Amino acid sequence: MKISALTGKHNYFEDFEVGLVIRHARGKTIEGLENVLITNLVMNTAQSHFNEHAMRNSPYGGRLSYGGVNFSVAMGLTMQDCGENALAELGMDNIRLTHPVVHGDTIYAYSEVLRIEDADREDAGIVTFRHYGVNQDDKLVFQGDRRMLIKRRSYWGER
Amino acid sequence: MAEDFRARARLWPKGRLFEDFEVGEVRQHHWGRTIALSDTLLFTTLTLSFNPLYSNRAFAEAHGHRDIVVNPLLVFNVVLGMSVEDNSEIGGPFVGVGALTHHLPVYPGDTLTARSTTRAARLSASNPANGIVTWLTEGFNQRDELVIDFERSNIVRLRHPPARKEATA
Repeated sequence: MKISALTGKHNYFEDFEVGLVIRHARGKTIEGLENVLITNLVMNTAQSHFNEHAMRNSPYGGRLSYGGVNFSVAMGLTMQDCGENALAELGMDNIRLTHPVVHGDTIYAYSEVLRIEDADREDAGIVTFRHYGVNQDDKLVFQGDRRMLIKRRSYWGER
Repeated sequence: MAEDFRARARLWPKGRLFEDFEVGEVRQHHWGRTIALSDTLLFTTLTLSFNPLYSNRAFAEAHGHRDIVVNPLLVFNVVLGMSVEDNSEIGGPFVGVGALTHHLPVYPGDTLTARSTTRAARLSASNPANGIVTWLTEGFNQRDELVIDFERSNIVRLRHPPARKEATA
């Protein structure tokens, strides 16, 4: 197995620079498949995410998608471009959920490079991204920062 | 409905409200969750989280891991999920998460448990019926090694909100 043949060629550590903003190519519509399945899979017990009857007369008109699902989908949509060549996800910060998401809403994702750092190893460096999730009505539903340890092409590019 | 069971029923309530939180309190959350390979594959594919460490065992092993790496966002969501009944089930919406660190990788078959320490509980400046509570939540594996920690804040409703002032004419 040639490792480098399985991932992208244009998203190594050397390809990211501070200020770069990426519009990710795919969006994803949130439905019960994402919200109810993941909410229940992770044993989140808040029924506003899975009791349609209780939520029908709420201001949301139905089940509210769980915030962890919303930003997991938004961050997932960024992963191929930003984290396909990551060795590890190190941490997150400043996560904000800025607008409710209900079933049928579609999330699109953007990422901005905030910071580039050397790591304590020579084969990789650390990139901090600010990820954004925007719905079909151009409302910001999520933003959050993620630090990832990303392979350097100089070491991994031909392996 | 013919039966009288509903008339006789008493609700066993779930969740906590603002007055229930005390700064410094530590709560071990319920249940624990063993992460199956299918859990992380399903989560990774549903969220389009495309890095082969999360989907290709041979690739993960070639990077020094003993198995597929459990998606770190799944680890986060499971640890948060187990904290919901104690912290945020009935109180109100999520405000934010910060200072999150992934300390160790998690592998299929590992078991996660969670606990939270109440860090702050203050009344909302804009709405006296609400408070804002902040917790440090920590997730551990079956060897009691810390795998993740983060701070989370939520709006939490007061059980006894101050009486609303009558508008004066």
